[in-house]
Amino acid sequence: MTSSPGPAPFRPRLSALPAALALLLLAVPFAGLLLATDWRHFGFAHGDGGAVRVSLGYSLLALVPIVALGTPLAWWLARYRVRGQWLVDALLLAALLTPPLAMGLLLAAVYGPYGPAGRLLERAGLLLTNSAPAFVLAQCYAALPYYVMAARTAFEGVPRELEQIALTLGLSPWRSFVQVSLPLARLGLAAAVALAWVRALGEFGAVLIVAYYPQGIPVKLWVNLQDFGLDAVYPLLWVFFLVALPLPLTLGMAVRRRLS
Amino acid sequence: MLVDYRIEHPVALHARFEVAGVTVLLGASGEGKSLLLRAIAGLLPARGEPFDGLPPQRRAVGYLPQGHALFPHLRAWENVAFALRGPRRREAAMAWLERVGMAALAERWPASLSGGQQQRVALARALARRPRLLLLDEPTSALDPATRDEVLAELIAEVHEAAIPTLAVSHDPALAAVADRLVLMHRRRIVQLGTPEEVHARPASGAVARLLGLRNVQRGRIVGAPGAQRLAWLQAETAVPVHTDLPDGTPVDWHIAPAAVRVHEPASAPEGAIAASFELRQTGAHGSYLGLRCGQARLWVEPPPGFELPAAPRLSLPPDAIRCWPIA
Repeated sequence: MTSSPGPAPFRPRLSALPAALALLLLAVPFAGLLLATDWRHFGFAHGDGGAVRVSLGYSLLALVPIVALGTPLAWWLARYRVRGQWLVDALLLAALLTPPLAMGLLLAAVYGPYGPAGRLLERAGLLLTNSAPAFVLAQCYAALPYYVMAARTAFEGVPRELEQIALTLGLSPWRSFVQVSLPLARLGLAAAVALAWVRALGEFGAVLIVAYYPQGIPVKLWVNLQDFGLDAVYPLLWVFFLVALPLPLTLGMAVRRRLS
Repeated sequence: MLVDYRIEHPVALHARFEVAGVTVLLGASGEGKSLLLRAIAGLLPARGEPFDGLPPQRRAVGYLPQGHALFPHLRAWENVAFALRGPRRREAAMAWLERVGMAALAERWPASLSGGQQQRVALARALARRPRLLLLDEPTSALDPATRDEVLAELIAEVHEAAIPTLAVSHDPALAAVADRLVLMHRRRIVQLGTPEEVHARPASGAVARLLGLRNVQRGRIVGAPGAQRLAWLQAETAVPVHTDLPDGTPVDWHIAPAAVRVHEPASAPEGAIAASFELRQTGAHGSYLGLRCGQARLWVEPPPGFELPAAPRLSLPPDAIRCWPIA
């Protein structure tokens, strides 16, 4: 922990105290997990391995459309102001605000077998209930608004003048985006990807409604709790941290290394 | 090259003039000079020649904005190579850097370069695009005052060597002094064109004189008919003889060169001399000036070497040294 140097010697101590308290509060549930885990009978329930594979694989897959669709939207939002902009902002905020369970219900209503989009897609052979695509769909809806918000802030940090200079040097807008906007926003975009990953992997409510199967880790934790009790939850939770943390941790460390 | 551009937003502006050699468009802040450059570069909706209707990437301009806008994620040579294609782009970029005397710093990141060095890299980057027109936005604004004149001289020499018509916009008289041609803008209109010698010899108005950085540009009013006129200098609550052909009552901007102002001892001062008091001395590389307070106004005097300022100086302004411009 560092603090900005100030003339008063007591300042670092003043800021350190609430900071330490915040860290302590964050650590409490995990200390509880450490204590509550029955280390002598540490074992996994049937299907836990499959849940890990489902969560990791589909979360990685979900990142593809999130990044592919969210990046241009974030750039557009960062660069242009249009009439009725508040509607776009309201839409993004609504997507962020909607409780996950409610989002799941809404997705089921639209993409489910009786929903307007669901019926059409089912005819085209794409089933968006209790299927891998349904799982990825729910994760996308959970993570996309977070990604767009973070990526938008990243692009807003890129001086517009540099993009324009690239144009005057003969680059097309697309190449200016690739060679100037993307590299200069990369730290913020890395943070946005990390955030999207965390949101996608940890999503429970929406996934529970539209994709109870295939079961990812969050739903399997629920199932384990129902079927076997708490002792079947903790081992899978440890694995969850083990597989979920490396990507955002590495990205975050890379960002901070570049910033320092 | 004829530049003829009309901008509607964010300010209405029309400018038409010839760019030859290094042409400096001199105007106060807020005149829309930078907007004009951005319009020519295609970065602002506007109509005009050259490059009318083309997107910015198809306009052969080398645009150097204020602050130089080097890409911070690219080294100096990579910035120059940005507009280049092909396997030999590094060699080509190095050649451009060599030309502006920056080859030794090719591997440096922009943040580690001084303002002048960044400017030279930005110039090399702009020249590497092989532009038909160079656009420089306030090229002296980000330079260290101590080295500004040298850096500016380098810049002008390099631009001359490149032999590309260059339009620089600025409010800095130091840049105007090294121009091949001057275009003066006041209230969003071109008010005078010419070489620096022509413009300095006959500034078209008090506004032009102020833009050129002349000292002692003041406000006044002509009193009396031609032949027996006086210039009422309201700020100093005095009037001095003057020779003009302006009618009685004309409000004017007027100017007298600091070297033309005469300083007298109270005892030997001519009749009507203006009482003044010492305010400050300004001594620099280009000479020494005394700032003397006359009522509410300040008059600059350029004293001869070894001059001793009297304790209670009196000033006289030779009528033939006073130049008056009617205020429109």
